[in-house]
Amino acid sequence: MTTDNTSNETSNGKIPQLRMLAPESFRTKLTRRAIFQMGTAAAGLAIVAAACGGDDGGSGGGTDTTEGPGSTEAPGGTLASGDWSRVINAASGTLAMYTWGDYNDPLLVGQQAEDAIGVSMKVDYFNSNEDLITKLSTSGGASGFDIVVPTGPYVPQMIEKGLIQKLDTSLIPNMVNVDPNYLAQEWDPNNEYSVCKNWGTTGFFWDSTVITRDLVTWADFFDACMNEASGNCSVIDTGPNVWGAWCWANGKDWTSTDTADLDACEAFLVDELAQHIKKFDSYPSTALAEGAYALSMAWNGDARQAYFRIAEAGGDPSVWKWALGSPDTELFMDTYCIAAGAPNPEAAHAWINWVLVPEISIQDLQYHGYHTGLKSMPQLIEELAPDVEFADMIFFDDAAVATMHTQVINEAIDRQVEILNKMKAKAGA
Amino acid sequence: MADHGRPDRERRKWRGPKYALALPSIIWYSLFFVIPIAFIVVYSFGTKDATRLLPVDLGKLTTGNYSEVFDDTFFKTFKSTLRISVIATLMCLVIGLPVAYFAAFKVSEKWRAIILALVVVPSFTSFLIRTVAWRIPLAPKGEFSRWLMDIGLIGDKGIQLLETQTAVQIAIVYNYLGFMILPLFVAFDRIDSRMREASKDLGAGRVTTFFSITLPLAGPGIAAGVLLTFIPMCGDYVTATVLGGAKGNMIGSMIASQFSQAQNWPLGSAMAVLMIGAVLLALIVGVVIVWVVPRLFGLLAPVGESIRRAIHRRRVARALAGTTRKSISIDINRLVMAVWAVLVLVFMFIPIVLVFRHSFNGGSSFSIWSGETSTKWWGELFDGGAAWVVLVRFVVITALALVVKRVLARTTDIAPRRLNWVGPGGFVLALVVNGLVSDWFRKIFDFAGIGDAIRNSFMAAFGATVIAVVLGGLSGVALARRPGRWAKVFMATVFLILVTPEVMDAIALVTWFQRLQEVPVLGYVFKNGIGPFNGGMHKLWVGQSLYASAVVTLIVRARLSGLDESLEEAAADLGATPARAFRQITLPLISSALVAGGLLSFTLCLDNAIISTLVSEAGSTTFPVALLGATKSTIKPFWGVGAVMLFMITMAALAFVAVVLRRSGESSSDIAATLAGN
Repeated sequence: MTTDNTSNETSNGKIPQLRMLAPESFRTKLTRRAIFQMGTAAAGLAIVAAACGGDDGGSGGGTDTTEGPGSTEAPGGTLASGDWSRVINAASGTLAMYTWGDYNDPLLVGQQAEDAIGVSMKVDYFNSNEDLITKLSTSGGASGFDIVVPTGPYVPQMIEKGLIQKLDTSLIPNMVNVDPNYLAQEWDPNNEYSVCKNWGTTGFFWDSTVITRDLVTWADFFDACMNEASGNCSVIDTGPNVWGAWCWANGKDWTSTDTADLDACEAFLVDELAQHIKKFDSYPSTALAEGAYALSMAWNGDARQAYFRIAEAGGDPSVWKWALGSPDTELFMDTYCIAAGAPNPEAAHAWINWVLVPEISIQDLQYHGYHTGLKSMPQLIEELAPDVEFADMIFFDDAAVATMHTQVINEAIDRQVEILNKMKAKAGA
Repeated sequence: MADHGRPDRERRKWRGPKYALALPSIIWYSLFFVIPIAFIVVYSFGTKDATRLLPVDLGKLTTGNYSEVFDDTFFKTFKSTLRISVIATLMCLVIGLPVAYFAAFKVSEKWRAIILALVVVPSFTSFLIRTVAWRIPLAPKGEFSRWLMDIGLIGDKGIQLLETQTAVQIAIVYNYLGFMILPLFVAFDRIDSRMREASKDLGAGRVTTFFSITLPLAGPGIAAGVLLTFIPMCGDYVTATVLGGAKGNMIGSMIASQFSQAQNWPLGSAMAVLMIGAVLLALIVGVVIVWVVPRLFGLLAPVGESIRRAIHRRRVARALAGTTRKSISIDINRLVMAVWAVLVLVFMFIPIVLVFRHSFNGGSSFSIWSGETSTKWWGELFDGGAAWVVLVRFVVITALALVVKRVLARTTDIAPRRLNWVGPGGFVLALVVNGLVSDWFRKIFDFAGIGDAIRNSFMAAFGATVIAVVLGGLSGVALARRPGRWAKVFMATVFLILVTPEVMDAIALVTWFQRLQEVPVLGYVFKNGIGPFNGGMHKLWVGQSLYASAVVTLIVRARLSGLDESLEEAAADLGATPARAFRQITLPLISSALVAGGLLSFTLCLDNAIISTLVSEAGSTTFPVALLGATKSTIKPFWGVGAVMLFMITMAALAFVAVVLRRSGESSSDIAATLAGN
């Protein structure tokens, strides 16, 4: 159900008229709960900001510049300047999402979503794309999930197995906000099934009081894992990630299907590395703060979370170091898709569309620490989140991006998962 | 009813097949246990084909999967799982035995009830949150570790236990200790104290009495305790997942990951088949040991005898010399046991206290104490006033019921026995009214999306319990009253259900449900979610009811076989139809067993994580399932709030049932006995 996305309410530099695209009830909730009671001014203001744009599907746009009522603490109160689509469609009922751990600002999958689009959200988590595919295929289209978040290269097989359904792009007008670089990827050339959620990369995170040397390459990572951090080191719990790290440490291409490479990889990872590993942990940030590891392979957003957690636990974040894996590393793009047989596709579209509103998207980015793929990102950050912490862990220069490579799903995937499972067995022995 | 010229009494007897009453269970177990497990066995000979929706190719059968399991790497996990389980079972026995002994023989009736309650209470807090709570004291950079470093007990690296096998070992002992203490206590409690007195009168010392009288008599209880702990340990994958890291990996998690992550059903199936084989083998070894050990004691008897005589002689000599050492030593003995019991109980409450404390954590993560106490998570509970409204309605309706009871007692002459039902009735009415006028569960708990999970937990546990009580009640009666050849097969199935590790049931059901969806009518219902089949709740009912109904079956059978059939026969002689005899004689006889069995299954189901995780859908996520999902990222402190609330609701429900049981004249020992499945 689209609530008014035709009228154009540009403010031309003035304080914009508050124009609600959501039901009346939301207005009272918004002022009472979101702003005052919840005590999260930033969040509440972001809704106001988002709700008052109301451009016509992005074609018109305007200069929605406004100082906004927010303080410096509430950058979300500011509207980004430029040509943005801020359509918000209302929906109702429950919306179930199956996603990666800690992958959205809790407000965006909680109260704020309820206030803005009128759906109550339920979120469940998986550890790997394989887990997601198994869950959807074993329930034969009755999993009950609406939105699922596979990594791009897994989209084709999910289409083929009939696990996700086509998007109704007319319900996602805010897709125009996405940088064309992150649209029309090879796994879904016309974005019929998927929209970019965010992209990220992989590196490692270590305690410099334990590993005093500087780690740069994946070979360094493995070496530290087998020496200073032996028995105190974690790796990401997916087959492709351990395979990828080995490839990049050995100058190979991780899209390779060469059996000799896979054999060599297995020989090293299973027979030499596995015994030094403490845990296969896709989200090490909490355990890092608890002091469980001295060295972790981590996705950039989770490593960034680790800094916050370590500080909260009373630790000293300054002794922890982060490095992007080199000479090459991963580029993953996770996507929003709608599960086949989704109970509430209307709400799913509405929510996906909503998080593409620039202010909402940047709010999410500040939480999870991954580039959300919107266009004019530097400008957006400058205007909406100038003081975002650890920005260098979210945004990478062109030279770094050039070293990142996207996964390709090929016949080697089974072998990669098998290697991971053998590593687990070996590590436990 | 046709007369075939038989004597009157015969005519009024049930003349269907002997297994008629057990028929619902037979169908249920065939459909949801035997066939699914049979498929797992079949899959274990297949080959993986990831391109299919059901990734098994049965075209070419092979035994390759089995040889792969025996491959060095996988087999090591097998061995370490068995080692962890055996050590943990023995530790539970060693830790729990003195506590059970102390409670049974060394304290007054009042203290006995208190100790038992303290043993049972922790297990009504979510299993998963207790396991997660162990992360707090074990964290190398946690407060406890820092404190130990400050006082110089350990080096500056902190406690190096988190994500190790030791952590799994500690938590697994903790998680199953209660299941050991309870049956041990019941076994000790049932020993006729005159036997022990006679032994002492005959000159046996305390040690001899313990080893030659008490321990052998408690044998069945020990066996029950070992079964109740060892089997779930073998299949446990929650503890290992939450605390274990790579080194604490157990076979349960490896099997689950073969199904979910590797999509290698054949290999996972082969592992599961071998695992149940290993469990059965371990049980057989256990039985042999139980059979051999008493005989070994018999062989050693002369030695013991001479030692005993020597001790006795010395004691007599000492008594003649007028020393009072004996009485002092008894006191010391008792004191040591009391200290031990207190230590064990403290151990059992460590995670509970931590869960409570961390629900007040000001930080953003449950397991990391931020140093700041905050009521913000609890504040959310009362946010919006819904909680207060519900609370007021509860209090008002229950209070009204009590007033009504008083008034009725004064003005009418209804028997007090019946009036006693008014109070609990008011409580139920308050539940119903609150449920009708609001979806209060959701409203109160929906600050973090766990409202649905808590409600689903109760719905799933309630449905599964109803199924378990009906199926278990009927088949229990059939087993006790209509035994025959069928009963042996049936009991074997029940036994198999009890010993099959949960993870195997889980994968068998998941894969079976998927096949079931291709069956014409049934599949349509299952797939499209019609009526109660919406949201996947039915899958939880099926999954959780298996173990629960097997437990109820055993409890009911045990209850009835203790009573002879003369009452039912007398009813038949007096002309009651089989249905009437069942309703008026058998049902009242087994009612306490049904209540106790229902209670046990309810608490088991409420906490079920393994089956539920694998079979649940988005619409039927329960509290443990959602929490297990959250362990994959960050557990927020509101999970502590949810767990504490869940605990309080469960305790309230239990108190209610206890009141009802008291009314129907059961003593606390009886309740403990039935709870322990004896």
